[in-house]
Amino acid sequence: MSEPVAQKTISVEVNGTTYEREVEARRLLVHFLRDDLDLTGTHVGCDTGNCGACSVIVDGTLLKSCMMLAIQADGASIETVEGLGADGELNPLQQAFGEHHALQCGYCTPGMLMSAKALLDENPEPTEGEIRRAIQGNICRCTGYVNIVEAIAAAAEAGR
Amino acid sequence: MTETATPTSALVVEEQETRPGFIGTSVPRKEDRRLVQGEGVFFDDVKRYGMGFVHFVRSPYAHAKIKSIDVARALELKDVYGTLTGDEVAILTDPFFEMSVPPGSEIKDYALAVGKTRFVGEPVAAVVAATRELARDAAELVEVEYEPLDPLVDARRAQDSDAPILHEDAGSNVVWEGVFDWGDWEGTVAEADRIVRIKELHFDRFSSTPLECSGCLVEFNRGTGQWTMYCNHQMPGIGAIWMAPALRVGTDKLRFVTQDIGGAFGNKICLHPYFVACCLLARKLNRPVQWTEWRTDQHTANAHGNERWFEETEVAVKADGTLLGFKTHAIDDCGAFPRYEPLGCIIWAQVTPGCYRWQNVYVDFTQVATNKSPVSPNRGYSRMQHLWFTERVIDIVANELGLDPVDVRKRNYVKADEFPWTTPNGCVYDSGDYARCLDIALELVGYDGIDKRRRDAESRGKLLGIGIGSTLDSGTNNFGQSQLLNPELQFSGNNEVATVKLDIFGEVVVTLGTVPQGQGHETTAAQVVADALGISPDDVTVRPGHDTYWNSHAGFSGTYASQFAVTGLGAVKGAVDQLAGEIRTIAAAVLGGVPEDAVVLEGGFAKLRENPEAAIPFMGIGAIVNANNAILPEEARHVTLNCRYVYVPPFEVPDTERKYGNLTLTYASQIHVCVLEVDPETGAYEIVDYAAVDDCGNRIHPQIVEGQVHGATAQALGAATHETFTYDEQGNLLTPNFYDYHVPHALDMPPLKTGYIESPSPFTSLGAKGMGEGGGAGIHAVCAALQDALRPVGNPIVYDSCNPPHRVWELISNPAESRGRISVESR
Amino acid sequence: MLLASVEYARPRSLDEALSLLAANPNARALAGGQTLINVMKARIAAPELLVDLNDVPELRGIRETDDGLELGAMVTYTQLARAEEVHRERPILAEVAAQIADVQVRNRGTVGGNVCSNDPTNHLPPVLVAVGATMAIAGASGIRLVPAEEFFLGVYLTAVGPGELLTGISVPRRQGGDGFASVTIGADGTCIANAAASVNGDVRVVLGCVAATPVVVEAPSADDEAVRKAVAGAELDPPSDIHAPAEYRRQLAGVLAARAARQAREEAA
Repeated sequence: MSEPVAQKTISVEVNGTTYEREVEARRLLVHFLRDDLDLTGTHVGCDTGNCGACSVIVDGTLLKSCMMLAIQADGASIETVEGLGADGELNPLQQAFGEHHALQCGYCTPGMLMSAKALLDENPEPTEGEIRRAIQGNICRCTGYVNIVEAIAAAAEAGR
Repeated sequence: MTETATPTSALVVEEQETRPGFIGTSVPRKEDRRLVQGEGVFFDDVKRYGMGFVHFVRSPYAHAKIKSIDVARALELKDVYGTLTGDEVAILTDPFFEMSVPPGSEIKDYALAVGKTRFVGEPVAAVVAATRELARDAAELVEVEYEPLDPLVDARRAQDSDAPILHEDAGSNVVWEGVFDWGDWEGTVAEADRIVRIKELHFDRFSSTPLECSGCLVEFNRGTGQWTMYCNHQMPGIGAIWMAPALRVGTDKLRFVTQDIGGAFGNKICLHPYFVACCLLARKLNRPVQWTEWRTDQHTANAHGNERWFEETEVAVKADGTLLGFKTHAIDDCGAFPRYEPLGCIIWAQVTPGCYRWQNVYVDFTQVATNKSPVSPNRGYSRMQHLWFTERVIDIVANELGLDPVDVRKRNYVKADEFPWTTPNGCVYDSGDYARCLDIALELVGYDGIDKRRRDAESRGKLLGIGIGSTLDSGTNNFGQSQLLNPELQFSGNNEVATVKLDIFGEVVVTLGTVPQGQGHETTAAQVVADALGISPDDVTVRPGHDTYWNSHAGFSGTYASQFAVTGLGAVKGAVDQLAGEIRTIAAAVLGGVPEDAVVLEGGFAKLRENPEAAIPFMGIGAIVNANNAILPEEARHVTLNCRYVYVPPFEVPDTERKYGNLTLTYASQIHVCVLEVDPETGAYEIVDYAAVDDCGNRIHPQIVEGQVHGATAQALGAATHETFTYDEQGNLLTPNFYDYHVPHALDMPPLKTGYIESPSPFTSLGAKGMGEGGGAGIHAVCAALQDALRPVGNPIVYDSCNPPHRVWELISNPAESRGRISVESR
Repeated sequence: MLLASVEYARPRSLDEALSLLAANPNARALAGGQTLINVMKARIAAPELLVDLNDVPELRGIRETDDGLELGAMVTYTQLARAEEVHRERPILAEVAAQIADVQVRNRGTVGGNVCSNDPTNHLPPVLVAVGATMAIAGASGIRLVPAEEFFLGVYLTAVGPGELLTGISVPRRQGGDGFASVTIGADGTCIANAAASVNGDVRVVLGCVAATPVVVEAPSADDEAVRKAVAGAELDPPSDIHAPAEYRRQLAGVLAARAARQAREEAA
């Protein structure tokens, strides 16, 4: 029988590292990542689940970490922006975002990169329309999305 | 995807002049590497030992007396560190200074509501606790007893005799009023063939809603009495001017630190009330405190763009469409507290005639307070509202007189050979070619084939419309314009600071006074430095963000008002030119006492022009000056290699009587063309083609300029189609977060076509102009295109700036209502 | 943004979930959380206990049956949009699911959550009524079946009572044609008004966003005129809000009903 708990020690793997922390049941996954693990690359841009700045990949599924409780992630494997590159090297998406000026303030960028990664993992040759649909859940207030769409297309091209 | 008119295209007026060096090239942005790795540092990423989290208790009423506040139950909660109430604030601080003349100057504005609340969401108390969640729990336990008052929501009612008064000290809801009378309105009327009258136009409230909300982590140093704010304030200069007197300290006690800021767009200029509350809490509780604003807080209680009404407009026109002048009564709604206002009452005057040769302008301008969120500068600040008005006027006049909107514009635009052009109020438009930009934009959308597309849309049951938005992005303020609203204000001119130094191992380090939020200042500053020193931008370190400790800080420091390319880079250029001179001085001395002009800087070396073998690396020069200076001859010992330069643009104080003078240094222009299709059954519409043509003089970094154009366009399209802060009659905001306040997503954005020309500014050292705000061209273009599309269904007049589908359907279903707002008198 | 204190349980079976819900009247089932967690962030809802349904095997999966489809309540929009079975048996469900919100929300949001929250702007309630779905509700006394038409009772209110759970939805195989039309706030945004239609000899049009629950309109034929007339005869009294005055919603109801019916008609032909 699963007993109701108000807090619990959870074990979560983030970018290959396993963390154990006690969390309140009410703690959002995004605050667990940012405040408890100090992985501050994942951002908060709204309070209604609309902006996508907090997008991460949990057990292979792209989701918004402000609409999942940390306690729900017990035992999960999570990918965040900090895990995209390896040993300080940028991955092709990160590289393309720079080359195509797909970021200005950079606040939406981590979530945008995670959405782009989820897209390319599944569909390495997306059309422009597919790219736009894939990042529809990520708000950017700086770029008008023009260069973001170009960058994702270029990264897909580079990955072929 | 995006089509760009490249410099080789026939669409560009002149081939871009090839300039040596990095200026004018799109070098990789220095900021990007950290940001794409999630390694930027935004204020909310900063942590301190023992920090507490601030949660504000906010008013649920738009207008109410505060009878009592009881924090006892909140303080009983475990791990609650303390509270702050308006009563304490009233004792510990003085009201923030007001810019207006009476009655607006009598308004008392504090960090927390004192005695009464004036908008929903206004902070009335604050709680600090060990976790974010707990702080909110405790805030819910603060008991506030309110006595609700009638709210004032409609600015047009503000001066009615029975209107509720927000600020009893002022005794009136008028914050500021003034008449701007340039040229000869009466004479113009006599000369006109037609007077077009427009009963009312309305520019909606919205804001750029930067994705990162506001906030700060504040530490108080008891030993020095100094506060440090790790924050995202975008204009610390003015922030300190507000905060220090309120806190009864000197500005030396306030240190602002920023690194990365998640967009600001003007919305992070008026953070001082929140910051003062946090400063008081940090001192009272003797621990660092962090305030993180959430989205709903930002929408309800931080910063909106100004809402403006234009009443009883009259436009004097010749029969051929020559525009002679206009007269209007503007009512500007600044919300509950003026704060940066009433500067907006003046700032529109930077672009008084828009892009046009209008000579006679009469504007009766009134700004009033209402029970809504305060406003603050918002991308395109105040000029955007006015430019929307001028563009609406153009299209309404064209429509009513049966003229072609393209012809009317071309007939009345300031012409390329007329620059520098002095406006009727003494502003000097530096350079440009609006007609050429319009031609490029029209060509990009295939204007020649528009009739065929109209018929094609018709065959699919759609109404196609095309509209133009012509705007100006006036950059580099003359703060002397503040004296037009209050001659007592001791502000004028402008300034910005930079330092450039050569350090002991040859490091080139730049500090800026600006506070970038995505504009790529680290990159463009490095380009300027690299060119002056003959090195690569990769060899230049530009300190990210702003820190009061760097001393590269002046009264007007900040990032706002489209000015970095002029003021910020002007300062960098001044400082690096000094440094280059100092490097030459040392090299000349060390390389055998040659004249300084015999030394050239190249590849990180100072070399003799005639004998490049004789060279000393920058590292050697840095080491000598910093650590081995006894070897220097006397005449080289004054060199510090640490150069600070304050850029001061050439302004004079305007004539306050005539409200006349040059208010801004540069005028970038944007001409946009929008093609859209309306579904007449639902009012829903789709933008099917869009072109934006930009002219900001010499482009330091074309890719960054282009990015600003994209972003400004997206924000304008959002404002045109969905984004509006609408209130109910009780003063509740009905669009308090991204659930109801819809901003454009990737699927909402139309394909963008861009083009540019470069008309160098004769008034700036790099020939560049400030740009980035964009003047809301997209709003103007969408409104014009809608009006064009709806011509076959009763020819309604678009009179709001924001037109979501239901408004469009209302125009279609009742064209007489909007038609009734217009009349034409033939004379 | 910050939730009030809450307890959390993660049952491994339907029985366990039901007993947790039965034991605490202030417990709420947590499905995808794409609505519930948001209303908890706003502290509009503050349940004492969240019963997370993500590990309840009985609620998962899409099955093809003799009559059509069985959708587990925890089927996500993404699963619904992609499942071959859905494309075969009742493609309108996949078409509509693909329009809901965005990738992240579709990955997490569930069919059961969508219908049980019964926000009048949701996509699925009118569609499920139009296709004649049947909802299976489990409680202490076993499972009862409720036609979709009787499932939606009011704003945020359904036939799922205290201590009960929606376990699955059966959808009959398509016989004629289906259609869906909407006007949204931005592309794939929240619906301002929507309409679903199913044509199989008789014509059934169901309107969303115009009342607390989906409004069923029977039309004599799927012709534009007939449908519009039927909608006009329904004497709708839609709500007004920031996105649409009542009058506009009434207009959209007629237009969208005709468009949904047209799609259904063309598909049936």
